[in-house]
Amino acid sequence: MSKPTVGIFGLTGCAGDQLVILNCEDRLLELVSLIDVRDFLVASSENDSSCPLDVALVEGAVLSQKDAERLKAIRARAKLLVALGTCAVWGGVAAMDRDADRRRCLEEVYGELGLKYDSMPARALHEIVKVDLRITGCPIEKEHFLAAIANLLNGNAPVYPEYPVCTECRMLENNCLLIERGELCCGPITVAGCNARCPNLRIPCAGCRGPVSDANSQSWLAALEEKGIDRLRIAGRLRTFAPEGAVQ
Amino acid sequence: MKTVAIEHLARVEGHGGITVELEGNTVGNVHFDVFEGARLLEPLVRGKRYDEVAPILSRICAICSVAHSLTSLKATENAFGIAISRQTEMLRDLLYLGENIESHSLHLFLLALPDYLNCASAIALAAARPDAVLLGLRLKKLGNRIQEVIGGRAIHPVNAVPGGFGRVPATEQLIELRDALSEGIKDSNAVIDLMAALPDTDFCHCNTAFAALDSAGGGSYYGGEEVIAATNGDRAIVRAADYRTLAHEQSVPHSHAKHSTFRGKPFMVGSLARLTINPHRITGRLALAAERLGLHLPADNPMDNNKAQALELIDDLARALAIVERLLREGIEDERPPAVQPRAATGTAITEAPRGLLIHSYTYDAEGRTTSADVITPTALNAASMEMHFRQAVEQCAERDDTALRRRLEMIARAYDPCISCSVHLVRKR
Repeated sequence: MSKPTVGIFGLTGCAGDQLVILNCEDRLLELVSLIDVRDFLVASSENDSSCPLDVALVEGAVLSQKDAERLKAIRARAKLLVALGTCAVWGGVAAMDRDADRRRCLEEVYGELGLKYDSMPARALHEIVKVDLRITGCPIEKEHFLAAIANLLNGNAPVYPEYPVCTECRMLENNCLLIERGELCCGPITVAGCNARCPNLRIPCAGCRGPVSDANSQSWLAALEEKGIDRLRIAGRLRTFAPEGAVQ
Repeated sequence: MKTVAIEHLARVEGHGGITVELEGNTVGNVHFDVFEGARLLEPLVRGKRYDEVAPILSRICAICSVAHSLTSLKATENAFGIAISRQTEMLRDLLYLGENIESHSLHLFLLALPDYLNCASAIALAAARPDAVLLGLRLKKLGNRIQEVIGGRAIHPVNAVPGGFGRVPATEQLIELRDALSEGIKDSNAVIDLMAALPDTDFCHCNTAFAALDSAGGGSYYGGEEVIAATNGDRAIVRAADYRTLAHEQSVPHSHAKHSTFRGKPFMVGSLARLTINPHRITGRLALAAERLGLHLPADNPMDNNKAQALELIDDLARALAIVERLLREGIEDERPPAVQPRAATGTAITEAPRGLLIHSYTYDAEGRTTSADVITPTALNAASMEMHFRQAVEQCAERDDTALRRRLEMIARAYDPCISCSVHLVRKR
């Protein structure tokens, strides 16, 4: 069987998910022997920027017309398009308060010139093109990426947790930061997969993996209000990594 | 007129390009084009509570996420007058060293080295020189392991919070780091051997100004308050609170990054600048290594930044080991971060990110919500200097064929180790 052709791309973001791929130090050489990486601008200066791809891995959010055009071109080349990371899956930090007056923000940062920049409110990939697989996380977990590649090589779809960070945290038998310390912890409404990294370090979950699908948000809100945390702060925290009301 | 353009620069972080206009042998406009989308995080972070600022602004850049996170915390602590413990300071130094080790290894071995050995990527290089790629991957992994143990994650650390850490590392984890570092240090000679054997990159010489933190007090990337800017033996000191005089910025049409000059001149930040400003760091085995690499300071060749990174890399391994050994000797205490008392104030912090000076400055209201935030990144500070060196490289190149010119331009761009996500910042217009 010929090796699957793969392209790895970054739209607007921090390059963190591509960096996670490069951080698979022990597996990197084996990995590139199993797949045929044709287009990976961050790592290579010789790329085929038009060949058909079996798999396109795309990180970052869409923040400009140029991003949107690149994404559509990638989609047209790829059998399978994988959204890598919270920005690609949900919009990420650039999508917080995306109803803010963008022209005013651009002018504030760049002066009058900013008004001429190609810039639009952050969007997740699925708001522009069809997405076949989502690997969330800010950044993604190395193991989730490797599992995706291993499964795709075998013709399977990888399976990721569909329960909240809270479940992982309880299995680790941590003291509850929300109930016992009254902290604004997003563990109950955030999708698991990080093995409760932050609460395990006594740091409240910031929600960087995005919302879990069947979250019991009402009881979470009630618990926070009982602890005296005001709604404005909760709303702000909720919008940090995924825009308000985001659904897949 | 002819144009030499590198539309999309490869093997660097982010989206940028280079355009050079040539009229016969005369070089016209030279542009470092940054077309990374504008995320506008700075206005977006306004109104956020003090404990949410560092996690948001670390997302400016993954490769420098420890630098952004710790510089952010330092600015917030300066605003609220929070003093950190000696142990916290040591752990932060160590975390910063971990990032520098990872970042320099990534840049030197996976991004820059393929040029010197005529390969398109580290993947191609792995076939020709597996020793070099494996060496880079080993050291990169070690840097990441330090960040995982101290910061809780290799990218976008979660464990550092205002005043300290969520959970300090356990003794067993420090022992693991000590053993890994003792092993890693054995690679120091291999790093210098490899770098010393690379072909000369003698194609861009010009009088260059530098700026870096004064590390007279011990040389940590995280400590220090004063920046020294040096040009032609003339040195000027800039205090953190006066950072604006250092970053005299203006927006330019071809780039979403802004251009900085000091006293009207472009300046370079990063490893080469740090060693130039603090030559006392280069003693003993570092001096021997500098001699082997042919690194003579002050340098007039931006390509020497690669040599400077190699020196820092081996120095960082030794410094990280010294910190871990000291923590083990003195015993690690399970300190909890202090309760934070917000106040209406401004706080500024300057540190040395892997790519050079990084500045965060915030103003908070009495409830501890940001009313303004200002971030100045090394790649933004370097943008004007990069353009100056691009111009010099083209003017000094006898050949006029595109391939030769493009190769030189790309190598200089990579020597700066640009982080283009970072450069599209965020600074408010004044």
